[in-house]
Amino acid sequence: MELQDINYSKNDYVETASGNKVCRQTVLCGSQNIILQGKVIVQAEAIIRGDLANVRTGRYCIISKEAVLRPPYKKFSKGVAFFKLSIGDHVFIGERTLVNATDIGNYVHIGKNCVIGRRCVLRDCCVIEDNTVLAPETVVPAFTRYGGSPGAYISHVPECQADLMVDYTRSYYQHFQPTKLI
Amino acid sequence: MQRNNIKVIPGALVCEESKLRGDITIGAGTIIHPNASIIAEAGPIIIGENCLIEEQVKIIHRLPFDQQNKDTTPVLIIGSHNVFEVDCTVEAPKIGNHNVFESKCFVGNKVTVSNGCIIGAGCKVTEEQILKENICIFGSNCQMRECIDKPAVSTRKQLLLI
Repeated sequence: MELQDINYSKNDYVETASGNKVCRQTVLCGSQNIILQGKVIVQAEAIIRGDLANVRTGRYCIISKEAVLRPPYKKFSKGVAFFKLSIGDHVFIGERTLVNATDIGNYVHIGKNCVIGRRCVLRDCCVIEDNTVLAPETVVPAFTRYGGSPGAYISHVPECQADLMVDYTRSYYQHFQPTKLI
Repeated sequence: MQRNNIKVIPGALVCEESKLRGDITIGAGTIIHPNASIIAEAGPIIIGENCLIEEQVKIIHRLPFDQQNKDTTPVLIIGSHNVFEVDCTVEAPKIGNHNVFESKCFVGNKVTVSNGCIIGAGCKVTEEQILKENICIFGSNCQMRECIDKPAVSTRKQLLLI
């Protein structure tokens, strides 16, 4: 099924040379530590905290409205250390989701309103359902579907998940177009 | 129009992008991250020392409907060493010390929070009650039990790095 066009006002978004589309109503702290590899969409009121540690996303990532990307921290007896947050290619992050993970693989789909706890690791091709709460330091294996609170294994994901996510994120990017002035 | 009267004690760190409305006092060592909103609608809010208030947190001082016509203005006192994680909504009329409000939790305006409580991620507490000390609320059904281990006290040095 073909995706419908998602229109945005051209004044609200900045498009970079590498094809990233970033909304002006986002909070990007420490932008020198944020690396968007290209063709990434960051929608309105998303928060990316690059001032805490490096944040790196792959190509064709979609960060929906009001999502929060926040590098995780760990408390030690002598203080606190922050870890960098890296996200693979073709990753979808739903609305109002909080991502505190250290590592997210390729072709991952994270639903709406999730909490990904501190220092979680999400392997390639996994799916996190809407409203999931992943406890800190959870490792989600490849090709699995997690859901619930606290997040637990639900089922397997078909082997074509990688192709599905490539199709989905590509077509999302292609249909994310500025409103045409008539 | 309500006048904003914000008092920040030296040593506190308040981000410019946070939304503060009403009469608010912020204690030393407290850190407020961008996009947090603290709204003192019913009366002043006093935040203690070394609290951590993260992004999208909503602390709202609002009275329950049956108490709205009283003449006295209640003060919301938030104790020290409390942690409010990303996107939690707290309307409690009184908050003690060493509490943790995890991400996306909701605390209604009839719930009084004592000391050392942990409200788990995504949990909702709305019924009229007083949470006893060291209560932990967790899981999808918001189960309640007492914490075994003592709440970890983060020092000011640790807080400053967060």
